[in-house]
Amino acid sequence: MFSETPPLQPIKPGYHVNILDDGQLGTLKEATLEILEQTGVHCPSEKALGIYAEHGAKVDLTSQIVRMTPEFVLEAMSHAPRTYTMGARSATHDLKLDGTALYCATDGCGVETIDFKTRQRRNSVKDDIADMARVADYLSSIGFYWPIVSAQDYPTVAPLHELDAAFNNTVKHVQTETVMGEKPGRYAVEMARVVAGSDVIMRQRPPLSLLVCCIAPLAQDKDGIESALAFAAAGLPVGFMSMANTGSTAPATIAGTLVVGDAEIVSAMVLIQLACPGAPVFHSLMPGIMQPHTGAYLATAWEGTLLYAVGAELAHNWGVPTLAGVFATDAQVPGWQSGGDAASSLLLTALVGAETGSGLGLLESCTLLYPEEILLDSDIYHRVRIEVSGLDTSPEALALEVIKEVGPRGHFLRQKHTRTHMRKLRFSDLTCQPSAGGGYRDPVEVAREKVSWILEKHHPQPLETAQQTELAHILSAAEKEIDQCR
Amino acid sequence: MPSERQPLEPIRTNYKLQFVSDEQLDQLQNATLEILENTGVRFPSEKALKILSDHGARVDHATQVVKFPRDLVMKAMSTVPRLFHMAARLPEYDLALQPGVTYFTNDGCGVETIDFETRQRRPSCKADVARMALISDYLSSISFCWPMVSAQDYKATAPLHEMDACWNNTVKHVQSETIMGEIPARYAVEMATVLAGSREALRKRPNFSLVVCTIAPLVQDKDGIEGALILAEAGVPVGFLAMPTLGTTAPATLAGALAMGDAEIISATVLMQLQSPGCPVFHSLMQAWADPRSGAYVSYPLDSRCRYAPVEMAHNWGMPALGACFGTDAHAAGTWQSAAEVALDSFLAGLTGAEIITGMGLCETYTLLYPEQLIMDSDLYHRARYQLMNLDVSPETLALDTIHAVGPAGHFLAQKHTRTHMRTSLVRAITHQVDENNQYRDPQEVARETVAWILKNHQPEPIEKARQVEVTRILAAADKELN
Repeated sequence: MFSETPPLQPIKPGYHVNILDDGQLGTLKEATLEILEQTGVHCPSEKALGIYAEHGAKVDLTSQIVRMTPEFVLEAMSHAPRTYTMGARSATHDLKLDGTALYCATDGCGVETIDFKTRQRRNSVKDDIADMARVADYLSSIGFYWPIVSAQDYPTVAPLHELDAAFNNTVKHVQTETVMGEKPGRYAVEMARVVAGSDVIMRQRPPLSLLVCCIAPLAQDKDGIESALAFAAAGLPVGFMSMANTGSTAPATIAGTLVVGDAEIVSAMVLIQLACPGAPVFHSLMPGIMQPHTGAYLATAWEGTLLYAVGAELAHNWGVPTLAGVFATDAQVPGWQSGGDAASSLLLTALVGAETGSGLGLLESCTLLYPEEILLDSDIYHRVRIEVSGLDTSPEALALEVIKEVGPRGHFLRQKHTRTHMRKLRFSDLTCQPSAGGGYRDPVEVAREKVSWILEKHHPQPLETAQQTELAHILSAAEKEIDQCR
Repeated sequence: MPSERQPLEPIRTNYKLQFVSDEQLDQLQNATLEILENTGVRFPSEKALKILSDHGARVDHATQVVKFPRDLVMKAMSTVPRLFHMAARLPEYDLALQPGVTYFTNDGCGVETIDFETRQRRPSCKADVARMALISDYLSSISFCWPMVSAQDYKATAPLHEMDACWNNTVKHVQSETIMGEIPARYAVEMATVLAGSREALRKRPNFSLVVCTIAPLVQDKDGIEGALILAEAGVPVGFLAMPTLGTTAPATLAGALAMGDAEIISATVLMQLQSPGCPVFHSLMQAWADPRSGAYVSYPLDSRCRYAPVEMAHNWGMPALGACFGTDAHAAGTWQSAAEVALDSFLAGLTGAEIITGMGLCETYTLLYPEQLIMDSDLYHRARYQLMNLDVSPETLALDTIHAVGPAGHFLAQKHTRTHMRTSLVRAITHQVDENNQYRDPQEVARETVAWILKNHQPEPIEKARQVEVTRILAAADKELN
């Protein structure tokens, strides 16, 4: 027996906001094109350089710097699809990236966790990914799963073990942020093929996608880019994320940071389109701001959070979907800061029409897992989700007859209309839980209990036994091969 | 010597969102007109009933319920000014209500406080009002000042003492939420006149305003409405605040609660316009929800969609709006709930284009003051303010020459452009203050220290001595007459 995975509740905004006007978007695009043409991007992969050169980019093989003309970039980008589907193990949980809904993922790939039982801080392991995959599977706020922490008990091929833990514990789409290098990339594709069941389904409804980080300023990672090429060849969506840091790896201005980040992302998307025209790609701009006293990375400076929503607009201006930054926090424990940070990033991202966002559940600038944080973030997610839907002004909702019946100085408690609609009001199941002595319980404590409840009760539909065995074989082959290469 | 004060930093934005469609706004306005015409509103004030009846409203003197023909409402509402001035003691802090600018205030009127020194919970007093006015005076996020708690050490004249405490500790506009009744209102006008210099000066640059609560469903408060009439006559802005609770004092559907609350506000506005055509009035509707299990008042259910629909309804009537932010139900400052519930508010209020907004700094649903919460709410406010600002996309901020100079795989630390802009590119919030080991400090602790620093170091420009003496004399007379 397994438990049903509740239907997804993506954010479907009834409203739209434009942050940048067309003139500003045009200026930013021209700036990116100028950087790509004159400054270029460092790409330390022979394979990638070969593809760029073959198609007519200006490649300096000594410095490994690629420069490309605006026409070259625009031609390549014209093949990138604006909408596509990210598949899930269960078809009802597929994500249709068509601009009508925002799907959010968990955060990833943290390195430490507060242990579920002992509440002690420790390094993360594969079991944590499996447990949190079940929690993510249960929550309607989670559209797809990022392996939320790192499988540090499997040092050789941790990223593939993270996928194994994810595929075995959620029916939702899985997006990896750690599969790096051509070989691991090929093994990951094999695993996705097993989960999909066939090549055709894998292309139509890819159950796996990849997010690769660029290196700021203006460089690509060899292993990242080669893994992306392997994914793209198999029809799996790949995205590129710039984490340019205002003041250290990017100019100390927001517009300058946007340009550096955008140029990195676009140069990689161009490569994928050259290699596999029409391959699904996405754009992800998640810059940080440098703490000027310490040089530290800040995820949530007052003005920095705007970059996430603006990143989505840049993506759309290139004609591709986005993975936007949501819920990042520099807080060290679940509390005032994490709550404020979460609410401050999601609303504008939803209103500009982002298709996907990551992610819920981590603290300390995306490195530390507090299991209950995902429930707290989820509560804020639903507040925003409902806030951006519309108002009902039907005669039943206006209730004029009832108001007339009650009249001045009356009350509405005895009205049938009240009984009917009172049941439909939605209160938070974290902040409005009555406590035994009157008043409400501490929402953080309620969240903790809910995590325990989900872990005990929710067991999503497993992979078929044959699929499980096949994944295990692939893992063991990967371990052997990659270990030998070391 | 008075100390430096940060200039006002209201939310200024070019982005605008309309949450309720034009058609829905008309439906809501029609519903209000229908309620006013067919159900009516109770005005338990002979003075108000007479004005209304003189102008053609249908008054039932036995029940004190007034029904308003549509034409009467529309005619009276046609004289309400869409925008007006809320003046301050120092003219540079005057608020010219205008589209695209949202001015925030602190919250009021709490009844308990966590003591500044002992950290014990206790009933509030006049000294608390004074201290919080001083902090509000310093903060750039606070554009005008509500007496934040109640001066419970001054019985019936508490509202006047709250005004006195504010005027003496801030140069900003003061808005009372507690002046009730004709006599206290006359004293308040007298105090304000002394500060303004003359009746005419007060009318031209009103240094205070009043918000009066209506009683749901569909009732006005005698003292509230009679106080408001006095202020309206003097040209002091007045606003009416409806607080319908879905399920108990209002229908359990949002549209019904909004229409009913709107009817309360509009009926009072009509009264003001009939007495003093063209007097400045603002609209304020703060809906709440009843917990079906206990009847408890809940400000933030999970579904609070269109929280700022009332702002759009006010604009549809041609009036400015006082919106509500930061009314967390959390029991303590610094908790997850105290941020999670309210952090969206400033974004939504700014996007809707509310002219004035209350209020930062209280928890337990507007009743309990944690002094540091004002600093923490202010921090959340600034996030929204920065995000709703226009982005600067110019050759200087695009920095293409600098990017080219650094090139792939370099760094920007040695660039002059970085040195120039780094100083302004990161405005450090209370969340990013470091200790001597370069570790981030607890933001609540930083906020508490900020409170202490302001109280110790900030000295607003005092009121001129002669005027201060005169105000004190008026207060003493009020104490004698009313207590």
